[in-house]
Amino acid sequence: MNTFFRRLRYLLQSSRREAELREEIEAHRAHRQDALERDGLESGEAASASRHALGNITLAVEDARDVWAVRAIDHARQDLRAAVRGLRKSPGFALVAIGTLALGIGANTALFSIFSSLILRPLPVRDPGSLALLTNGSWSYPVWEEIRARETELFDGAFAWSNQGFDLSRSGHSDPVDGAYVSGRLFDLLGVTAIRGRMIMPADDGGAAPDAAVAVISHRLWRQRFAGTRDVVGRQLTVQRVPFTIVGVMPPGFFGPEVGRMTDVMLPFAAEPLIRGQESRLASAGSSWLQIMVRLKPGQSPEQANAALRTVQPQIVETATVSRQRSEPLTLVSAATGRSSLRGRFETPLFAMVVAVGLVLLVACANIASLLLARALARRRELSVRLALGGSRWRIARLLFIESLIVAVTGAGLGLVFASWSSALLVQQLNTWESTVSLDLALDWRVLAFTAVLACLSAITAGVAPVLGLRSITPGEALKDAGRGISGDRRFGVRSTLVVAQIAVSLVLVVAAGLFLRTFTFLNQLPLGFVPEPLLVVELNLQASGGPPGDRGARVERLRDAAAAVPGVRSASVSAERLLTGGGWSSGMVGIGDGPISRIGRPGLWLNATTPGWFETMGMPLRSGRDFEAGDRVGSRPVAIVNEAFVRQYLPDEQPIGQRVRLGFDPLGFDRVRGVGQRTRHEIVGVVGDAVYTSPREGMQATMYVPIAQRKPSEFWETVLLTLNTGRGRRAAMEHDIAAALTRVDPTIAFTFGTFDQLVEATVTQERLIAMLSSFFGGLALLLAAVGLYGVVAHAVRARQTEIGLRMALGADPSSIVRLVFQRVGVLIAAGLAFGLAGSLWAARFVEALLFHLEARDPVTFAGAAAVLAAVGVLAAWMPARRAARLDPATVLREG
Amino acid sequence: MGLTNTPSDLLPGTLELLVLKALLGSARHGYGIVEYLRLSSHDVLRIGESALYPALQRLLLNGSVRAEWGTSENNRRARYYTLTAAGRKQLSAERAEFDRMVGAIQRVLAT
Repeated sequence: MNTFFRRLRYLLQSSRREAELREEIEAHRAHRQDALERDGLESGEAASASRHALGNITLAVEDARDVWAVRAIDHARQDLRAAVRGLRKSPGFALVAIGTLALGIGANTALFSIFSSLILRPLPVRDPGSLALLTNGSWSYPVWEEIRARETELFDGAFAWSNQGFDLSRSGHSDPVDGAYVSGRLFDLLGVTAIRGRMIMPADDGGAAPDAAVAVISHRLWRQRFAGTRDVVGRQLTVQRVPFTIVGVMPPGFFGPEVGRMTDVMLPFAAEPLIRGQESRLASAGSSWLQIMVRLKPGQSPEQANAALRTVQPQIVETATVSRQRSEPLTLVSAATGRSSLRGRFETPLFAMVVAVGLVLLVACANIASLLLARALARRRELSVRLALGGSRWRIARLLFIESLIVAVTGAGLGLVFASWSSALLVQQLNTWESTVSLDLALDWRVLAFTAVLACLSAITAGVAPVLGLRSITPGEALKDAGRGISGDRRFGVRSTLVVAQIAVSLVLVVAAGLFLRTFTFLNQLPLGFVPEPLLVVELNLQASGGPPGDRGARVERLRDAAAAVPGVRSASVSAERLLTGGGWSSGMVGIGDGPISRIGRPGLWLNATTPGWFETMGMPLRSGRDFEAGDRVGSRPVAIVNEAFVRQYLPDEQPIGQRVRLGFDPLGFDRVRGVGQRTRHEIVGVVGDAVYTSPREGMQATMYVPIAQRKPSEFWETVLLTLNTGRGRRAAMEHDIAAALTRVDPTIAFTFGTFDQLVEATVTQERLIAMLSSFFGGLALLLAAVGLYGVVAHAVRARQTEIGLRMALGADPSSIVRLVFQRVGVLIAAGLAFGLAGSLWAARFVEALLFHLEARDPVTFAGAAAVLAAVGVLAAWMPARRAARLDPATVLREG
Repeated sequence: MGLTNTPSDLLPGTLELLVLKALLGSARHGYGIVEYLRLSSHDVLRIGESALYPALQRLLLNGSVRAEWGTSENNRRARYYTLTAAGRKQLSAERAEFDRMVGAIQRVLAT
């Protein structure tokens, strides 16, 4: 052991030790000289004789050094130094190579970070492996109560939560945060403990908590809103205009049970009635709004838990659900990675992008290999000299390998920096008006390992290529013809193959980018049926500001009048449903006239309720009949307006005005009064033009509108939308005046501003992201392929310089030289395109699900991509070709 | 020249043994060791520098000898090697081993 440390010390101080050794050996020589002089030799003679006797000092020093330097380590050090020196000598090469890898590895790591944190990473809680989620969908509170009553009998425990958007404002503008109602044992079962105060506990469930209305907040909220103060526990937090007491702060890193969502405020379910008052859903068997998760007993499999759960399912269904609902067996699935609503939406696209970015890395590696190979060929003379001087082939191969390893490691390092920056940027792109995506993107070992493996693979791929190129060099031959070759170089074979592969892979990526871009463009060009640009949407939250539901109709009317009176507002009207959310208010059963009310397939009939003038505000044309009027009130004959799609679907070839429509339930809220058999008949009084309801992708769907004023007052909506036409480009400027006007007539009203543009944008988040990423990757691959092709052609031209000079001296004109170069490049490009097209045709089916209105093998896209690639290829080849054509034959031939 | 002066012809480890023996009793510098070995072997053992210094480095690494700079008898700067306790132990062990080897070789030659 001692020896080892001494050796290490010697090695680290090697240059000092070496100097010492040289001095010592010189002293040795001096002593010998002294001795020789004593024996009678003249001093000069003695000096040379002593030197002669000593032999090669360098060799002696090296031999001695070998004793303490383990040879391999020493060589590695030398190689490293030589490699760094070599790279610094050609900074252009180093920059391109490292930059290429950094982009390749960075993009890969960025995407993999997102993929990992959304899909792969377990929840940051105690033993996530034994968590299971009750599928499929949401559950009512009574169902939860039934399960909770049996939680320890069936499982280790169970908990429930319901994601909510909470408004933390006291008045006026909403201050929205992501929050949730949670059951008492959630924190206990997840093993999450408070860093300040306490978490919500079972005692809070009954509303019998010591602190009454309690809330726990996230670490982030504590930091942001309360500046991390120590005395946060006990402070007030206004949630939905109701005062709560903060009892604890969640630990950092815990975001809730939902991946991709940062739950900032958690309230016990018992707080729900405080907020929703008489509209509380705790007792409602009909509303499903909870997620339920269980912790399995040690050793219990999800299958066993399912079996246990199903034995009690009849009791649960009997007591807690509306009949004919939930007849399918209750099923638990493992939830080690938590639940995420994002997952379903982004899993396929993310996976497609991970594949795409992997292909980019392949192109990048091919580029690096090509670059390193070119470098090795350019250095043939140097390497041949090394070989001729007795350098071992293995040692030279290792030098090249170390060079590529340096490139890979540096590239990976920079790539990590690029990744952490770009993944945050990407996650921002997932945000929409309604939800803020927050993912924990801190590098974890998975991402780290992934990057490291990528870097090593790149280094090996890139490192092997030069060694292959080196194999065919014999010292003499290379020295002889150094740079004077006339025929083409056989060793271009490897690089040409790489270039063909690069072009092929790039084509696949460019085709994909084309398909996704066209999909995105199609979606953006779809007609909406209304004019969004001049519209400002104000969501009025009537519940958060208190007051009985019966008063809401009048309040909304006052607010609408106030907004309409603001100078600059051209029209103001109200609707009950938000459009373009992907869902909405619908009926699955429709009856026309006196016919039966029959079930219709998905999608059902979409519903909305509006005030008079809404269609005009929206810019939706009235095709026939009339708009709602002031006379359409509770008590008057129920009326409805339908769109053209409705007429096409339910009343083809008939006069729609005057027809009566019945639905599976009463959109006016009078159901319970009239009874199931006596459905309200809505008389159609008008037909309006089609407008998008769920999303542009779904197209125009049958929609029916009823007057807001005919809604039963006690069943009035909690939130309605006030839509204002303020004219194009003036929306932002008017927000302030409108907010002031609203607060003046109703000081407690909570509202949020928005625009339809944001809503439209949100419907294409996924497509925008895919189009953006695939264009970036396609562009990157294109650039890399161009660089690769350029490199090959430039090098080929240089290697055949003498030949070209000869031809020109013999009378070839420049254009024939260009032709000569292009003959060869053309073959490469054509081969690459052929392989690329074949690959794209094969791969196209995997992206079919992500396309819209487009064949996966869309010929236009394929042809376009091929044309782009061919153009880029020709451009990349043209530059060196032109240079070749401008060579001065005399100079070339003279210099060789 | 009878027994040769190149390290490869010596029995393995013999050079180290000789160097250790040379240092037993007094500190010597490199040239001094060579001279000592040459004189005490009656001009038979002429150790070359290319063999001596690696051997000295090995002994330094093992901790058998210590080195420090000093001034030689003819007023030159020189590096003096002294035996450490470990070196003394190694000398006796290797000496016994050498005797055993030489005895064995002589027995073979005597047959």
